[in-house]
Amino acid sequence: MKRILIVDDEPHMTHVLKLYLQRAGYDVETVPNGEVALASVLKAAPDAMVTDIQMPVMTGKDLCLSIEAQYPQRKFPIYVMTSMTDREHRDWTQKIDNLKFLEKPLSMRALTQALAAHFSTINADTLNTDGGVAHG
Amino acid sequence: MANPIFEQIDFKRVHRWLNRAIGAEIDFMVFDKDGNAVWDNANKHASEIGQVIAKTGNPLQGMHRHDLSANKTALYQSLGFIGDGCIGWVAVIVDYFKKNDAPVKIDQIAEVLDDVVAGIFDEYKHKADLEMMTDELGARYEELHLVYAVDSHVQAHSGENAQVFQSLLQSTTEHLNVDVVAFVRPSKDVCQYATNLSQEIHNLDLVLIETRGDLYRFIQASSETIVMNAEDDPRRAYIFTDMPYKVIGCPVLTDGKVDALVVLLNHQNKPDFTNSDRKLAEVLANQLSSLSNTYQLLESMHEFNQQLARTLIEAVEAKDPYTRGHSERVHHLSMEIGKAMGLPPEELEDLHWGSLLHDVGKIGIPDAVLCKPSRLTKDEYTFIMVHPERSYEILRHVKHLDKAILGARHHQEMYDGKGYPHGLKGERIPLHGRIIAVADTYDSITSSRAYRAGRSHEVAMKEIERVAGTQLDPAIVEIFKKMVAVEPEWLKHFNIKREKLAA
Repeated sequence: MKRILIVDDEPHMTHVLKLYLQRAGYDVETVPNGEVALASVLKAAPDAMVTDIQMPVMTGKDLCLSIEAQYPQRKFPIYVMTSMTDREHRDWTQKIDNLKFLEKPLSMRALTQALAAHFSTINADTLNTDGGVAHG
Repeated sequence: MANPIFEQIDFKRVHRWLNRAIGAEIDFMVFDKDGNAVWDNANKHASEIGQVIAKTGNPLQGMHRHDLSANKTALYQSLGFIGDGCIGWVAVIVDYFKKNDAPVKIDQIAEVLDDVVAGIFDEYKHKADLEMMTDELGARYEELHLVYAVDSHVQAHSGENAQVFQSLLQSTTEHLNVDVVAFVRPSKDVCQYATNLSQEIHNLDLVLIETRGDLYRFIQASSETIVMNAEDDPRRAYIFTDMPYKVIGCPVLTDGKVDALVVLLNHQNKPDFTNSDRKLAEVLANQLSSLSNTYQLLESMHEFNQQLARTLIEAVEAKDPYTRGHSERVHHLSMEIGKAMGLPPEELEDLHWGSLLHDVGKIGIPDAVLCKPSRLTKDEYTFIMVHPERSYEILRHVKHLDKAILGARHHQEMYDGKGYPHGLKGERIPLHGRIIAVADTYDSITSSRAYRAGRSHEVAMKEIERVAGTQLDPAIVEIFKKMVAVEPEWLKHFNIKREKLAA
């Protein structure tokens, strides 16, 4: 089961994310801020991370930058939730690979579609690599 | 499927509490409404009791009893109801002859069990409520997301109505993961659609035509959204005959009447359309409806403006039949020059009105002067020279034409400053005035007047080149020369006379 780490301090968001992602068949862990999330990532990397930006203790921006610095081998995608009008975050996020925006109000369809697409490409890649080895 | 709400309740803690309340270790189990064990303290009787519960059917209030053996009895009780459904059961096992325990009284257990049931029910209810609200909140986010997305599409493509619709439909096919989304308005012969095909649809045109027929009439009659998933849906007999797609059709209302449809189509291999799909389709239909109404309003305003302008031009041309078509031609040529110069859309809009209405001031010139077939006296010519200022005086009442007026007011200025009304020179002449001047000069030479027949394109070009730099802006003349060098379509359309080329 793929594990998704959700980082948000607002219960109305975490409840929605948790319910819909569990329904879509994911194992969901929710944490209330960047600091707890960073500890969780360093202990065991999730298969994907969804994070808010505005949070107490450690913001989503600091979390992403810390992961970049302390865990450069990251393979899992990061989804950053931001409001549609808020463009100021486009700058720092552009420097981080494998990071995508989710626009608030959040579309759980869009998120589950993005996750499904992501995991199916990973599966396809793994199959291709295996095939290559077998033929080689 | 396991009930996710039970998984969130800490039954181990409930069991501890139960033991303390009774004063002895007691076997404790929780079952769902069908008798499947949800939690138990690892005792071997859970499945037997579960089967008994499954057979109990409609659970009554209070405690039930089932003897497991001569000295063991299970006591079980319903957890209560939410709506029409029982949420589950709890059970304990009473062992009358456990050696070190004093036998516990059934009455006491019944009381404690009542408390346990009430506690679990409250917690279950809270969690179920929370889940329902969360579910609803997620659905609302989804709708808001769609509304915001529509809004940002509209802002991104402002002024390009067809594109807004198209990009909206396209993003909807992706967002809702459907094969086809179409906006159909039969009365205006509109059928705009976007696809995100999971499989080919060979006869898509036919399918879309079908939506304008019976599907439209059906929804028009019912004013309600229709959802058809099943292939053997009886309504298919008269809607979408022989078309096996899953369908959502949403009415789009204008003034309370259905005048368009939003149609979503999926191949049969896709999952059924859900309630959430239906809601989102309705949100989209509402958004498209208000957009489309706005566009219709804009269009009719635009039409009204055009007709009003046409009326003004008719008034000028009625005075001088020889100038018939002059405004149209100068307008057309000015716009061609403006486009060739790459003017932005809002400037082209101003040039549009300025060039179309540039001669409106001629209304103020006496007929005797305007239509005089012979040479004008100096005084008579003064009347002519007043007309651009007159155009300004007439048009200044229309605020929308603020900037457009400049082109009309200054189309008789000359590049060397010897023109009228203000004798402006070079770049100080508003750009639109310089553009209209080139178009106006060309048309004056090539069209017939009261005192002479129209001359050829070649004569006009020669004359224009001659006065480039004195009367006309040489840069614009250059652009005009390049434009005519490719023999544009309007040369034929306006019946411009041509010199016979040497064979």
